[in-house]
Amino acid sequence: MTAEPDVARELAEILSHYSGAKSELIPILQDVQEKLGYLPEEVMQRVAKFLRLTDNTVYGVSTFYAQFSFTPTGRNKVTVCRGTACHVRGGARILAEIERRLGIKEGETTDDLEYTLETTACFGSCALAPVVVINKNVYGRVTTAKLAEILTMAE
Amino acid sequence: MAEITVTINGRQVSAKEGMTILEAALENGIDIPTLCHHQDLTPLGACRICVVEVEGSRTLVGSCHTPITEGMVIHTHSDKVLATRRMIVELLLASHCGSCFMCDKANICELRKIAADLEVGLPRFQMRKNYYPLEDISPYVVRDLTKCIMCRRCARACSEVAGHNVFAIAYRGFDSKVVVDFDQPIDKEVCRDCGVCISFCPTGALGKPREAKEEKRGKPLIITS
Repeated sequence: MTAEPDVARELAEILSHYSGAKSELIPILQDVQEKLGYLPEEVMQRVAKFLRLTDNTVYGVSTFYAQFSFTPTGRNKVTVCRGTACHVRGGARILAEIERRLGIKEGETTDDLEYTLETTACFGSCALAPVVVINKNVYGRVTTAKLAEILTMAE
Repeated sequence: MAEITVTINGRQVSAKEGMTILEAALENGIDIPTLCHHQDLTPLGACRICVVEVEGSRTLVGSCHTPITEGMVIHTHSDKVLATRRMIVELLLASHCGSCFMCDKANICELRKIAADLEVGLPRFQMRKNYYPLEDISPYVVRDLTKCIMCRRCARACSEVAGHNVFAIAYRGFDSKVVVDFDQPIDKEVCRDCGVCISFCPTGALGKPREAKEEKRGKPLIITS
């Protein structure tokens, strides 16, 4: 896999803000994740070279954290809460309905790179259960009927 | 370095400042079992086999990485310590693959030796184990991550003794494992024939490939320690 030119340019732009100290690894990875939506292998190799770390150290760090993804993610990130409160109030049905509408399972991305579906153990807004979060917008007391509206609002 | 006096198992002994509890105990002829610790590697305290009781401490402490201080009262083999060590070994065995009679390194396996020494009996816990394919494409080292207990000795040996950095720890929780590069099987591209990690591995996770000649001749496999 060769990095496309814009990936290389984005990376160069990100790295220009950093001095090359080992402690900058996670902030750099976060920036890359933010910009590209995922961490391509080649980018991890270049980051490793930039920080004078080994490739597998970078890989080890990035696989440890749930915030990093290794496959391209969609433009919209849909997170369904799976906490106890949301479960009791029908979170599982919400998740099933979203999976049906988008045609993907949890952890997957639609083929057109529009949506990525994730779940979380608890979002912390149990009073609003069941909760769905789309791109940092929190939707509470979701019902399967409301989902169509919520998903189109994200676009 | 200043001499300090500590009490280990009710006996007054002297130790030097800057020593770990383990070093002080060994110097005074007290044997504390260790697994992830190795004298040639930096202490890590991953396996918790070496825990001892220190009076005044809220929890048991790992002796391989805890510096000794003046006036410490240490119990290395109290009932509490032994019960904890047995529990730790049982839990390690529950995440180990458990087929010692099929393992080439069974007779030099440190985990098995410690389990025997501590008289750990039949398993109490259900085995919870990730099974990984055997990596035998390298002519220098055979890796079976199913047997790995995550002591990180190979990773430390590779960077500290051999001066390479072939291994790193990746993933999280039960899924965590020792990875090569971007989680590839170990092959001769990344790892040369130094073989340092093999002798540091306390289990059968890293081993030498069997020589083809011997198998062809039909010679029985003799395990030497």
